[in-house]
Amino acid sequence: MRRAVIDHARSVSPAVTALGLVTLGFVLLPLPFIVLYALSRNSYALFSSQGFTLQWFQRFFENDRFMAALQNSLAVSVITTVAALIIAAPTVIVAVRHRFRGRDLMMALISAPLLVPGVITGTAALSFVAQTGVGPGFWPITVAMICFTLPLVLRPLVANLSGLDSDLEKAARNLGASPLAAFWTVTMPQLAPGLVAGGTFAFVEAMDNFSITVFLTSITTTTLPVEAYSYIRDIDDPTVAAMATLLILMSVGVVFAIEWLLGLDRFLDMS
Amino acid sequence: MSRATFLLALPAMSVLALFLIVLLSFASVSLMVVDPGGAVFHGPPTLTNYGKLLVSEGAWRAVLTTLRLSSEITVLTVLFGYPLARVLARSHSRTLRRVILFCLVATFLSGGVTRAYAWLIILGNQGLINQGLRAVGLPRAALINNEFAVIVSVLNFVLPFFVLTLFGALRTIPETLEHAARNLGASRWRSFVTVTLPLSLPGLAAATSLCFALSLGAFLFPQMLGGGRVQVLATAIYDRIQASYDVPSAAALAVLFLLLLLLMLAVVGCIRRLVAIRFAGEAT
Repeated sequence: MRRAVIDHARSVSPAVTALGLVTLGFVLLPLPFIVLYALSRNSYALFSSQGFTLQWFQRFFENDRFMAALQNSLAVSVITTVAALIIAAPTVIVAVRHRFRGRDLMMALISAPLLVPGVITGTAALSFVAQTGVGPGFWPITVAMICFTLPLVLRPLVANLSGLDSDLEKAARNLGASPLAAFWTVTMPQLAPGLVAGGTFAFVEAMDNFSITVFLTSITTTTLPVEAYSYIRDIDDPTVAAMATLLILMSVGVVFAIEWLLGLDRFLDMS
Repeated sequence: MSRATFLLALPAMSVLALFLIVLLSFASVSLMVVDPGGAVFHGPPTLTNYGKLLVSEGAWRAVLTTLRLSSEITVLTVLFGYPLARVLARSHSRTLRRVILFCLVATFLSGGVTRAYAWLIILGNQGLINQGLRAVGLPRAALINNEFAVIVSVLNFVLPFFVLTLFGALRTIPETLEHAARNLGASRWRSFVTVTLPLSLPGLAAATSLCFALSLGAFLFPQMLGGGRVQVLATAIYDRIQASYDVPSAAALAVLFLLLLLLMLAVVGCIRRLVAIRFAGEAT
């Protein structure tokens, strides 16, 4: 019995496991250094003998430009997430439940904003807002983010709805529910995992986007990644590391929340 | 198409239409000419910008650099990523799998700017590695503002995408097939090469093309860690806008970039279809 267990446990050879862990180490490598640098007393040395400090976190929160950028980023991300989910929900029904000519083409075209490199989307959007006289700023950034995150939201929702039994909804219809009521009370609650997964993607990507938003920010309206970029270029002290540490903490929090709400396995099944 | 279908699809189709209009109007800008010394451009439509691109040494070098770097990054991603995806799919230690999954999703969510900045801290001239070298009396190593820094940082960014995608494919392959091969006397390596690897090829092709597309379009990392010395297509387009305000010429370069991307996607699609046909035929 014991032999069998050992044999199973070794279906991946120790060498492959070691190689895999080396890769994992490389993936994780940047994160601890960011945190160390954010706590460093000396802005030129990662390990100083003077101990640790929280002054860079304080500087981050006292910096008006960072605070304005943080507010913009949060507002853009929240609006993007809500709008992308509202737009995606009816599309998913069409994509999974309806049969019509051109459906595959439609689904392929919807993922186009993901495939086009951010720099191209960004420069094209900049040229467009300049020509139409709208000008760069908050709403162009938000609309661009909705466009960019829509395919990210759709994918988990399509996977989610495809896995559901449409007979349940038919049963509700037979019992006298209207199509809308049947969908809302029977199917919608079962789409919760897809909505959580899609919403997470939309929020995180809108919060982190640089290559599109950098073209649409103005002197008065910037986002956190763009502000961080210009701060690194102009000043470069550990204030940005403090910001990055907060973002890392946020993403760890998000992972715990996903694990608690859905389980990571299910989250990945849908993405 | 029924009326209900039309109405349900309308919001998403409007967003998509806006996206295509923006792209097409940008493509049409590439046919205009910029006034000397100003940001204003005008018609009539001409192919001047494309003519200039064809004879521009910088543009061709950017195309070649982009293709070379993304190929190198893709090969490295497959080599480093496959073992990790395999451990994640096959390890019998539940704790190990959970830890790996947790780390991958957390880094995946922690964002590009965060990690680009981390590589500046590690590789920079005053960075961690150079501080270490100085401490032991060695000369400074040039680890930043070159292709090395770009490759390391993009590889680091792309790996979680690759591993998570490949993991999804690997775990649908029944482990019993591998066990059968082992029971019939195949070594671990042989059962992998003859059973698991062929079965994982469609998933591997999908994960590889995702990571190739991500490296082709990478902008933040070449911009921050290339220090202006590594010119890929994305940074070349950015420079044309930020440095010279030449929108029509940036648009022409963007059109060229998109055509290149479509070509690469078509090639990758063909390879994937060939792989699917070959191994589907063998499995039956």
